[in-house]
Amino acid sequence: MNVLLFLIPITLALGLCGLAGFLWAVKNKQYEDLDGASNRILFEDTLKK
Amino acid sequence: MKNCLHCEKNLEENQQDFCCNGCQCAYKIIKENNFDSYYDSRIINPKESSLKPDLESELDILEFISINSNNEFQIDLMIQGLHCGACVWLIENLLKKQDNVIDARINLSQKTLRIKWLKNKEIGNDLIKLISQIGYKLLPADQEVLNKIEAKFDNKIFKSLAVAGFGAGNIMLFSFALWFDTNFEISGSTRKLLHLSSSIIALPVLIYSGRIFFVSAFNSLKAGLPNMDVPISIAIFLASIVSLIQTFRGGQNVYFDSAVMLVFFLLIGRYLDFKARKKAFNVASEFSIFQAGFGRIESAEKIRVLPIKELRENMILIVAVGEKIACDGVVLEGLSAVDNSLISGESTPEKIQKNSLVYSGSINLNSPIKVKITKTFQNGILSQIISLIENIENKKNIYIRIADQFSKYYTPIVHALALVTFTIWYFYFNSNWEIALMNATAVLIITCPCALALAIPIAQTIAISNFLKKGIIMKNGESLEKINNIEYVIFDKTGSITIGKPILKNIYEIKGNNIEELNSEDAKFYLKIATSMAKFSKHPISQSLCNSFDGELEGVKVEEYNGEGLEAFFGEKKARLGSANFCDIYNKKPQDFIANSQSNSLANLRCYMNFDDKNIIFTFCDELKSDAKIVVDFLKKINKKVILLSGDIESEVKRIAEITGIEEFYWQKNPLEKAQFLQKISDKKINFMMIGDGLNDAPSLALSNVSVSFSKAVDISQNIADIIINSSKLSPIISIFSYSKTTLKIMKQNLILALIYNIFALPFAMAGYVVPLIAAIAMSSSSLFVTINSLRLNSKKNKNI
Repeated sequence: MNVLLFLIPITLALGLCGLAGFLWAVKNKQYEDLDGASNRILFEDTLKK
Repeated sequence: MKNCLHCEKNLEENQQDFCCNGCQCAYKIIKENNFDSYYDSRIINPKESSLKPDLESELDILEFISINSNNEFQIDLMIQGLHCGACVWLIENLLKKQDNVIDARINLSQKTLRIKWLKNKEIGNDLIKLISQIGYKLLPADQEVLNKIEAKFDNKIFKSLAVAGFGAGNIMLFSFALWFDTNFEISGSTRKLLHLSSSIIALPVLIYSGRIFFVSAFNSLKAGLPNMDVPISIAIFLASIVSLIQTFRGGQNVYFDSAVMLVFFLLIGRYLDFKARKKAFNVASEFSIFQAGFGRIESAEKIRVLPIKELRENMILIVAVGEKIACDGVVLEGLSAVDNSLISGESTPEKIQKNSLVYSGSINLNSPIKVKITKTFQNGILSQIISLIENIENKKNIYIRIADQFSKYYTPIVHALALVTFTIWYFYFNSNWEIALMNATAVLIITCPCALALAIPIAQTIAISNFLKKGIIMKNGESLEKINNIEYVIFDKTGSITIGKPILKNIYEIKGNNIEELNSEDAKFYLKIATSMAKFSKHPISQSLCNSFDGELEGVKVEEYNGEGLEAFFGEKKARLGSANFCDIYNKKPQDFIANSQSNSLANLRCYMNFDDKNIIFTFCDELKSDAKIVVDFLKKINKKVILLSGDIESEVKRIAEITGIEEFYWQKNPLEKAQFLQKISDKKINFMMIGDGLNDAPSLALSNVSVSFSKAVDISQNIADIIINSSKLSPIISIFSYSKTTLKIMKQNLILALIYNIFALPFAMAGYVVPLIAAIAMSSSSLFVTINSLRLNSKKNKNI
């Protein structure tokens, strides 16, 4: 069962990475406008000036 | 029939491709920039949101531009007319294509647009002009409103939910091993490691995500009204303490997983509730910003647009035709008429000229006027009413929500049972205090109103979003419950039960001392003459004439005598349309005609025409909304008492009451009297609903248990109202009553389901059989059960509102 001593910290670290990524996305206002986001995915590529 | 290429309105026969210059110009802009694909991908309903560009009004937004640290200019705007993703694409890319523009981003949920650009401030005005030219309406966003939204709806709940979800998922890794270790094959030290790992996840998560409940519980205790969050907080707290002790003492069972899962489920409910409220708030604030909020001010050379709060005394306000007057003031220039119906409830427009007093909230009808502001918005007639409302709101009875009513009895019982469990185990079975405490905690965990706290928000969210789809904006979930206690339904007249606009009723000719109704052929002929002239005027009566005539009109040159009437020549024949004086009808006073006619109650509003030596009278009345009778009948059928409360004159109110079959009606009530009347009802502890749209209704709306207003109503009424109907129809009232009833039924079912589950589970918990695995299964299955029950609100049968 010694393997748990490695695995548990690794699991926690990976989980925390995911959580941090999510919180980062929230902070960057990626969840502010879900209505807009669901439409944006269908847009043509952005036009150049 | 062909449609306009830009706004898709039906075209008249002589028009080609476009309905107006504005649309042609907009089409050109879009074509030149190679954004044609916009027209293919958009979904537009010209009846719902008009895309017709308004070339006349030019906004000056320099005041609202801010500069950030990188020397970029930035402005936040509210945008109206967005109907789908294609609009977002068009506006953003059109702006980004302009020189100097760094970024343009639309928030479709909030209907706001943020533009950033370089070089100089003035570019901002050009950018806004560009967007107005393609048909979208823009206004600087009221920073205060935006801040309010931000403060009220921050991401706290969302982040807490995410953290709790993370915790609930990860803690399972350890719990899973422990749950199925029924024969205790895991060694003591490994068990301790797994428990310790669980606690490392659980404790921070519980503190971070649980704080929403702790704070709410603390506040409710302080206010002396313990809510559902109290037992939740105690359960979480006790579960963590007991589990922590067990962890360090190497015990068998810890409840970290249950506690975290509990918080996660509860937060899902909270989040749904929060999202529904935010959506309703966004829609409501969008209405109110576009309703009034801004005034056009004449200064040195140009016209500036200022928010209402910035308007000062002695500024000169320019009010275009059809616009709302922003502040109380004196007319400096212009002859016109104002529609006071929103303020006084009277449907007849009032003539104004130089030196007339006008009040904020009136609508200017005939021609542009200039008004010198005499009172700022804060001191104007509105403020008196607002202070009246604030007084009322403070006195209003506090409604205790169904969940809190339930928890009022539930909480003490559950806590008593937990205590009983502890006592029995400790004193009767002589077990050590740890086991006793653990069983008591298990009781709290298993009875925690998780299903309850989840079921009610889900039912509410589904109901509110289904209402929203039907154009009914319910600002809070409380109203859903309160509607079911309503006994009286009180209607305002003008604009609420009636359309609030005159409708042509009859056409008479004056013959000697009598009046005679015209036969249909003559009536059509004179109506055609009148409409040919009326086409050129924006007076409500003229517009009503235009609406009632369908056919080809004569092209004539019309001269408008402001405030008096219209004159035109049809060949050699002179025609005049307007007041009795203007049309040279002196010989009879209007009252005599009315007395002579059979239908004596209808002619409150009339207009005269003199043509070819014939004197014609058009009579108008404020027509009932087409569904008024159906709604009143429905309300009577479900045993509600219907009352009509109006500021209008007796005969009008009586007529409306008779047609709709309302037995109790009151007339000529000013706002204060209306409020006093309702106060009396309220003192009798009778729950009532008020339906009104005007400023004169605002205090009454504030006083009522549930208030309903319309999206065309004055902004104060909208701010106060619990429910806003996004059309002028009355029939949504039926949906409001019937669907709320269904929703409440489902909520009650959920409560009963949760109760049954508790009654079953409780003995096991008290007997000490509820190990963490059982707790987890019981909790999730009961939550799932009530969730599925709530989803029934979406079924076709129930949704058919």
